[in-house]
Amino acid sequence: MENQFFINAGIPPHAPPLQFGSSLSSSPMSGWQSLSSAMEIQSQDCFPSTDYGLQYESALSSMVSSSAASNCNISGESLMIRELIGKLGSIGNSGEIPQHSQPMLAASSCYGTPLNSPPKLNLPLPTSMGLNSSVADFSADPGFAERAARFSCFGSRSFNGRTTQFGPNGEIAAYRSNPLAANANLPRVSSSPALKAMVSQVGGSKKNTPLQNRSELANSQEESTVSDQNPEPGLKGSNSRKRKAVHKAKTKETSPSPSPNASKVIEPNEASNEKRCKLSESNGNENGSGKAEEDGKGINTKAPEPPKDYIHVRARRGQATDTHSLAERVRREKISERMKLLQNLVPGCSKVAGKALMLDEIINYVQSLQRQVEFLSMKLASVNTRLDYNVESLMSKEVFQSNNTLQHPMFPMNSAASAFLGHQTQQNPPLQANTAICPKLNTHLPQINQFIETVSGYPAFCEGDLETLVQMGFGQNQIQEMAFHSQNFQGLNQVSDMKVRL
Amino acid sequence: MDLQNLNPSSLKSRFTARFLRALTEINAPKTISSSSPREIFQRYRRIKVAADKSMAYSVRSRRIWSRATLWRLRTRSRSRRLVSFGRRASVKTRTTASHGKENKEHHGAVLGVQAEELRELVPGGEAMDLCNLLDETAHYIKCLTTQGFCVYMGGLLCEGCC
Repeated sequence: MENQFFINAGIPPHAPPLQFGSSLSSSPMSGWQSLSSAMEIQSQDCFPSTDYGLQYESALSSMVSSSAASNCNISGESLMIRELIGKLGSIGNSGEIPQHSQPMLAASSCYGTPLNSPPKLNLPLPTSMGLNSSVADFSADPGFAERAARFSCFGSRSFNGRTTQFGPNGEIAAYRSNPLAANANLPRVSSSPALKAMVSQVGGSKKNTPLQNRSELANSQEESTVSDQNPEPGLKGSNSRKRKAVHKAKTKETSPSPSPNASKVIEPNEASNEKRCKLSESNGNENGSGKAEEDGKGINTKAPEPPKDYIHVRARRGQATDTHSLAERVRREKISERMKLLQNLVPGCSKVAGKALMLDEIINYVQSLQRQVEFLSMKLASVNTRLDYNVESLMSKEVFQSNNTLQHPMFPMNSAASAFLGHQTQQNPPLQANTAICPKLNTHLPQINQFIETVSGYPAFCEGDLETLVQMGFGQNQIQEMAFHSQNFQGLNQVSDMKVRL
Repeated sequence: MDLQNLNPSSLKSRFTARFLRALTEINAPKTISSSSPREIFQRYRRIKVAADKSMAYSVRSRRIWSRATLWRLRTRSRSRRLVSFGRRASVKTRTTASHGKENKEHHGAVLGVQAEELRELVPGGEAMDLCNLLDETAHYIKCLTTQGFCVYMGGLLCEGCC
């Protein structure tokens, strides 16, 4: 019956295998005592979670602020664009590009009607140089080989029927879609000979090595991915919308000189997903640009993601309809972003790679947290039996204090806490809350001071020590509490160990 | 981070206030009673419910899991009083679960097994897609850690007072 009681209490027998088994085998009431002590020990193992709760609050607030600040990232993209412009200074239009990038930025930053985006895109076009010179510049461009190679894979059939006017546009589309993926994927390499053939068609001759291109692209990619990570959540949805909008306007677009497009296209493409897609749509024909844009979006959005997603996207390149694949990509981006946040939240998750394993870790963590709360409430229930009427008055005092005094920091405790633990500041808030709850504890702090220092010195707590501590008197509770906090910042390993045991 | 505990409207202070109030209500009628396991178990259930309830109330309806927890608690209390209503409550949970499963299949989750487990863990998770589920899980983890910490502190406090 006692065992049944324990089972009904929801204490998972497998959670603390060693102590639990021994406790359960003992006689009921004494077993309960030893069980509670054993569980205290394990609870101390479990408790590092609170630190992560504190960390989580900051992570949550930062997540909220980052999503709110996604609009600010557009200016970051303009900075990126200028950087890239500086890098690709061989292109003659560099002087004009910064100014022209502004309308493109404005176009990208607003959803806009189909009519809005194309005119703005057309603005930079007339100002650029002739096709041949720009192509020559492009050939000097490090990323050109990569992008043109990619585009040749995409729109080869559309290319055949193309006039020279659209040819470079197609290349530009390739530019746009491929910059981020350039350094990543082997399949791209095979298309470089096709690129060279295409380039010779247009009139330029380039002998850039793909390796140089890739290294340059890798550098730009790293920068762009850094800036892309933040804008991604806010801009992904807008990506899909803009793509559709520009798609409709494509027929209206006639690029008088494709080379200006190419020059304009390069930097924005590397900087933002949206520009890439928009320009590709404006420059290519529907099929080719549709593929390029899809691929562009896929490559741009997939570049920060794990390689398996990228390959998956590539396989579906020609098959999925735009809306579905875009929506799926957006969704996947959101999920991976949230998984990263959870990774910060759950201890020991950063080592784990892959969504499945991380989800397993998260599930274990949530389960352990829930069990921890159950155990603590069970402990509280057992403790309450020993309470007398004094507790109620104290409780009311605590309620009063928790309502009011949690506001101010219990200043003596602040300095004392930092002196005691001298560790992460995360320890201080729990201590403050504790002293706010029970002012009585303050009187014991000086006595506990030395103990805390010794406790902090021990990297790992022996459970036997804690058991003996449990048997002692009131001061012992203070020690447990401080041990709890010390366990918090030492507890990362213990949490993982506990999880292994679980 | 330090400011957060000083903030009277922080999750921790809100939860602590409510939980302590609930604890006083639980402890008030009890004198130094016998420590029979039955009573301990009953008290444990009450304390756990109080902890969950105070946590859910601290979050109000801002989160799906808090709404689900509150709904579940209210339904359970109602079902205890009237046994017949319990069937309706279970039917409700079944419908939400089936709806959730439809969502699962529709999204064709690559991580279907773990997502399902997570849905079982997080209250109200049955009817959420993976994206929102991860959001709720993050907030739920934060609240669970706060809850655990406060209950632990309460336990220490009670131990210290006896």
